[in-house]
Amino acid sequence: MNTILGLGFILLAGLFSARLINKLRFPAVTAYLLLGIFIGPSILNLTSQELINSSGFISNIVLGLIAFGLGQSFTREFFRNIGRPVLWISILEAVLPWVLVTLSFVFILKQPFYVALLFGAIASATAPAATVMVVREYKAKGRFTDILLGVVAIDDAWCLIIFALSLAISKAVAFHTSNTFVFKVIFHSLIEIIGALMLGGLIACFATLFSKFIRTQTELLIYTLGFILLTTGLAILLHLSVLLANMFLGTVLININKSNLEFFDVLKLIDSPLYLLFFVLAGANLEIGLLKGIGITGIIYIFFRTTGKTVGSVWGGYIVKVEKNIRRYLGLGLLPQAGVALGCALIAKNDFPKVGSMIFTTIVATTVIYELVGPLCTKYALQKAGEALIEHHQNI
Amino acid sequence: MQVKEVMSKEVITVKRSTTLRQLLEIFAKFHMFPLIPVIEENNRLVGIISFRNLINAFRPHELEVLKTVPFLDEKKEDIFKIDLTEEIGNLVVVEDIMEKNFISIQEETSLEEAFSLMELHLKEEFPVVDKRGRLMGMIGIFDIIREVFHQKGVI
Repeated sequence: MNTILGLGFILLAGLFSARLINKLRFPAVTAYLLLGIFIGPSILNLTSQELINSSGFISNIVLGLIAFGLGQSFTREFFRNIGRPVLWISILEAVLPWVLVTLSFVFILKQPFYVALLFGAIASATAPAATVMVVREYKAKGRFTDILLGVVAIDDAWCLIIFALSLAISKAVAFHTSNTFVFKVIFHSLIEIIGALMLGGLIACFATLFSKFIRTQTELLIYTLGFILLTTGLAILLHLSVLLANMFLGTVLININKSNLEFFDVLKLIDSPLYLLFFVLAGANLEIGLLKGIGITGIIYIFFRTTGKTVGSVWGGYIVKVEKNIRRYLGLGLLPQAGVALGCALIAKNDFPKVGSMIFTTIVATTVIYELVGPLCTKYALQKAGEALIEHHQNI
Repeated sequence: MQVKEVMSKEVITVKRSTTLRQLLEIFAKFHMFPLIPVIEENNRLVGIISFRNLINAFRPHELEVLKTVPFLDEKKEDIFKIDLTEEIGNLVVVEDIMEKNFISIQEETSLEEAFSLMELHLKEEFPVVDKRGRLMGMIGIFDIIREVFHQKGVI
């Protein structure tokens, strides 16, 4: 199958399968991922090799777009809106899986530190799409629902920061072994992070400066996309963090001028087909043959990620003194894992050819499990918190 | 020519505390729902309401913070099938549904610039404010077009 035919097929099949899975009450992203696994080389082999090879490329662009979009969260107004409970709970439920999964991979699975750190960082992501879908479906409302939605909204921003830090450290550990080891690790990580922040900030200033020459929506779309690709490309060229550079580009833009919000809105015109492609290609990258080898890794990952999410939200809830009912069940609503985790895993696969496939396969397999089981857990949490209108839903 | 010379100065405004019922009643006799500025006591502009925001009244639990979240499935609300209770008219107030991130223009802005801003943002109306953020009027695309006709001697 030639690449263009493959693209057309993926878009149309994606649309159709999303509609289909929507009837079973799963989000579209689950359909895209499963479709990718089915049409990938391991099962039906309907995709061209060229497309599969471009996964890293698409993944970088999509994660650049996501990081850019999440960057707009970092305003004083946003943090005032989400409130203190959401802030604390979201930080702890993101950090604890990172720490627990990293430690368990080092001490139980005896994996090298840099591999464990990557797994830990990916474990901090959640998938808002699945959670929001369940909340909408059961018309849930109340304090538990508000906190849950607030946490999933900011969670991916923490994950991208955690992943960017971990990736910088992992690269430094894996590629710079020498006598001055610790110093080199710190030095290389800091350069990657601070350089990315400087790059993002600088490009944001340029983008604002020249935005007065933009006259139409079409020009604005081209202009915004151009700057995101410029940032992503320069970050890759200069070996800086793509995620942090784009996130900071978004943050600086929105903090310079509130009307820069237009930059974010205009991207909604084109992001959907890119996201679809990204998930299908992520699924197609799964090597079924590797699945056999990941049994215990997958179990440890799922166990410690789940523990981290649950204990993290209980702990965070305890610090800010939210009601017992809320902190007890919140973790269950945070289990779905999808886009951001897959994107990070694809980056890890690209950057670490030796261990990347193992990391990626584990994340795809656990994502499928989490995406199928996670919504059920969210539903259970909403019921237990007394905020789901189950009877009402069944009447319809 | 500046915006303040052609803008409408008599504008119907609402407050944050105006209820949905009052809002709908105020504009019942209009043949369409205009863009309505929301102001505070000192005339400071704090938000705007368009008919799009009225749709938000159908989904009160949709948080503003979710706007930044990637991969969310679009949810088209079927407003014909939704069950609304009578109380919602009094329970929902303007503050719940108003747009807080909006574009306003300064009264000294030139008409040319106002027009190109409307083109760029695909909007047909803007609230006009002074330097202290107080609402001074509204400018619509028709005000500008009429002024151009006027200058060319058509009217």
